[in-house]
Amino acid sequence: MTAGTIHNKEQFLNRITSQLGRDRNRQVGLPEWQHRPQLDVFSGASVNELAAAFKKNSLEKSTFVVNTDKANLAEALQEVIMKYGGGQVVASKDARFGEFGLDAVLDNEKTHIWDTNRGQENIEIAKKANIGLFISDAALAESGTIVQFNDKDIARSISLLPTVYVAIVPKSTIVPRMTQVVQAVHQSVEEGNNLATCINFISGPSNSADIEMNIVIGVHGPVEAVHVIVEDL
Amino acid sequence: MAMKIGEKPFFDRVDDALEDGFMRNAMAKAQDGLRGRKLNATVGDEQIGDWEEWRSAGEEIRRHTLENLDYYLDQLSENFARLGGHVYFAETAEDATRYIQEVAKKKNAKKVTKAKSMVTEEIGLNEALEEIGCEVYETDLAEYILQIDDHDRPSHIVVPSLHKNKEQIRDTFRDKANYTGTEEPRELTAFARSQLRETFMEADIGVTGCNFAVAESGTISLVTNEGNANMVTTFPETQITVMGMERLVPTWNELDVMINLLSRSAVGQKITTYVTNLTPQLEEDSIDAPKEFHLIILDAGRSNALGTEFQSALHCIRCAACVNVCPVYRHIGGHAYGSIYQGPIGAVLSPILGGYEEYGELPYASSLCAACTEACPVKIPLHEHLIKHRENYVEKKGMTGEKMAIKTFGIGASSPALFKLAVKGMPAILGPLVKDNSITSGPGPMKLWTSVREFPAPGKDNFRNWFNDRGKGRE
Amino acid sequence: MKVSLFITCLSEMFYQNAAKDVVEILERLDCEVDFPKGQICCGQPAYNSGYRKDAKKAAKQMIASFEASEYIVTPSGSCAAMFKEYPQLLKDEGEWYGRAKKIADKTYEFTQFVVNILKVEDLGATYPAKATYHTSCHMTRLLHEKEAPFRLLKNVRGLELLPLQNNYDCCGFGGTFAVKMAPISEQMVDEKIRHIEESTANVLIAADNGCMMNIKGRIDRKGKPIEVKHIAQILNTRVEGRV
Repeated sequence: MTAGTIHNKEQFLNRITSQLGRDRNRQVGLPEWQHRPQLDVFSGASVNELAAAFKKNSLEKSTFVVNTDKANLAEALQEVIMKYGGGQVVASKDARFGEFGLDAVLDNEKTHIWDTNRGQENIEIAKKANIGLFISDAALAESGTIVQFNDKDIARSISLLPTVYVAIVPKSTIVPRMTQVVQAVHQSVEEGNNLATCINFISGPSNSADIEMNIVIGVHGPVEAVHVIVEDL
Repeated sequence: MAMKIGEKPFFDRVDDALEDGFMRNAMAKAQDGLRGRKLNATVGDEQIGDWEEWRSAGEEIRRHTLENLDYYLDQLSENFARLGGHVYFAETAEDATRYIQEVAKKKNAKKVTKAKSMVTEEIGLNEALEEIGCEVYETDLAEYILQIDDHDRPSHIVVPSLHKNKEQIRDTFRDKANYTGTEEPRELTAFARSQLRETFMEADIGVTGCNFAVAESGTISLVTNEGNANMVTTFPETQITVMGMERLVPTWNELDVMINLLSRSAVGQKITTYVTNLTPQLEEDSIDAPKEFHLIILDAGRSNALGTEFQSALHCIRCAACVNVCPVYRHIGGHAYGSIYQGPIGAVLSPILGGYEEYGELPYASSLCAACTEACPVKIPLHEHLIKHRENYVEKKGMTGEKMAIKTFGIGASSPALFKLAVKGMPAILGPLVKDNSITSGPGPMKLWTSVREFPAPGKDNFRNWFNDRGKGRE
Repeated sequence: MKVSLFITCLSEMFYQNAAKDVVEILERLDCEVDFPKGQICCGQPAYNSGYRKDAKKAAKQMIASFEASEYIVTPSGSCAAMFKEYPQLLKDEGEWYGRAKKIADKTYEFTQFVVNILKVEDLGATYPAKATYHTSCHMTRLLHEKEAPFRLLKNVRGLELLPLQNNYDCCGFGGTFAVKMAPISEQMVDEKIRHIEESTANVLIAADNGCMMNIKGRIDRKGKPIEVKHIAQILNTRVEGRV
């Protein structure tokens, strides 16, 4: 890894220090926060309650929700793809598809699995794809949000370029809210791990209310979104 | 163009605004709509518990961060660079644009896409890039609308095109971009999507602002709904992010709280559709991630507030909750403030960043109703900052005429003798002016009052006499 | 209970009737009302306009005048809020801070005092009218009193209290704002009056003289048939069992 560069830091920070009227280069520890309301949201909620809230909040964000189990996932997924018009599918390269028994569903000429060896071609395919398919890494009950830890294989384009995104949401990954995800990320940082280059929280199709505050669904990102909740416990 | 909007003096801008009926309707409608949405998503959402607790959490996080700003900026920059990113600390707007120009030249960049960002507006980045031959494309729908309308200026920090109606937008699209559709927002939006889709792919550089940076990991967090920020940061080879130096949090745990406060306060959403967190890690052979990542950390006057009574103004997270409840903004809109930062926070921030000479009148554009302070998700005492600005302004300008005016009617008289004299003298002074129990046209300092309303006639009795006659006074 | 009346300058000069009603109501509720003679303006106009020194002078005079009081009651939410601001204003003035704090802690807006301290919500008044109430900014946002006036008005016989659209928006008074920013203030008060008219009320009730002076001044200028009354005037009308 090549380290980057930093310009003008000392002078800049010294000015801040002098404005603040104290010494620099102290070690600063985080205080014990007096207010932490985030810890109480859905505290003690069962997995089923979280899944129900996730579903409700997904629907509120104009997202279609399907409930299924591992045994029926392949079939449910086929149905979703047909319901949204079939066509080109682009999927992330993710070993978990195999674990969910989806290899057969993905093995067809209309499905492209992200392949870094094929360079820009991936993007060209994703651009024209109708459906972007991936497995969500975590999901937030409070807001109907799915989470992606993007890397070269779990590519950013997949949830972004196709007309529809379809996220497989293992029920076991649904947590109350962003709080639990950031705690895990924070711990990972503390342990010295490198983060995913893009950690993306996505809640339904892209939208805008910039014209007279009218909400329009489907702007630069997907126009439709599907969350497939899978019983995996 | 930078931070300043227009060349006219303040009161001329106000007059222009007050004559713009559509704009004022749009502002009132937007305020009423946003207020309802925000209330539903904050005090009205039982799911998240007590909203006041969230505000207190936000306040303590912002206070701690700003009190240790040098430490956290140091940490942020080291982490960002360790992973291969480039950090440039820019003392002024010019420093920032010069650095970005150099990067663009080095990359031989032709096309630049931009996600919505007030800080790049503040430093006049578009002009700086166009100056060296780049084509700059605004991709946020509101900013796109303004850009193709001959670079109109933002009137709201969250919805920059709030002052335009759909018919105006349709006409602009027709005149400037060969649009042939109707004024339906859905159709207008689809047009913008189709216009920009290829541009996203072709751009050499993607530029963003920064909602929050996370010091512990060197991460930039972007909050959007349209997906344009994702497009801007996914396909170009180079990403440039400009952040106001105060826009950071210590760790991911604090990011969580701030994102919640921002989403709910700004647009009444539980979370915005995208919360995208980008960390440089450029060694990977990713196909859809930038290869080069620059972070510009901007002062441009912000440090003026550090260590002063205005420090908490830097706690601002740019949600515009204060703008959305301000009764003054409601009537004059954004452009009248003459700054890209409008409303109460604009009236507090603009003089800090740009000085009293240019923005000294803004702190007076408030009735001090404190709706802003009540709305602020990080509890910035906005109306108190406005008073503090007035103190500074008065100290600078003297303004003895105004002081005399305040004292004329005993209001502000600081000795009991003078006060009593004023009270006693009032009927004699004002008596001749009274007609039908009120005053329609007053002299001197009363003139501005009576230009709008009647002035009350002084009471006929002397209250103190009345009270004493009841035999109940206390010496 | 001993109560000191802080009348406020606007009330003393222009709205004595409301102040008299306050005195009568408090006395009827067995309060021993006194009137500290050294009282002047609370200093808010100076303070809000940036004249901190002048505001401090006024504050000190007021503190000296009210120091001996048990309770301080005023017919204005805004002026009560200014007393609450004194400690902050005098924080660097040695012993004055503590003295200011004591004053602030025993100051109440009139309706707040009646409801929260005297624990009375029905003053026995009768006022047959269609009315609406102006929730003034400083009363609700600085004093954080949102309920007391409504609790009292609810028990007024014959009074039909109508909701006021956008009641949370400022009326455009803001002290010197009304003259310094007259064109903006005009638009604000006009919208307020539009909402009052839309409520179909014939009477506007308020608990702040500044707002009343502004709204009434504009209503009269426009010749609208709407009466503007201080809440004490309503609460002291046709009281049961009163001679």
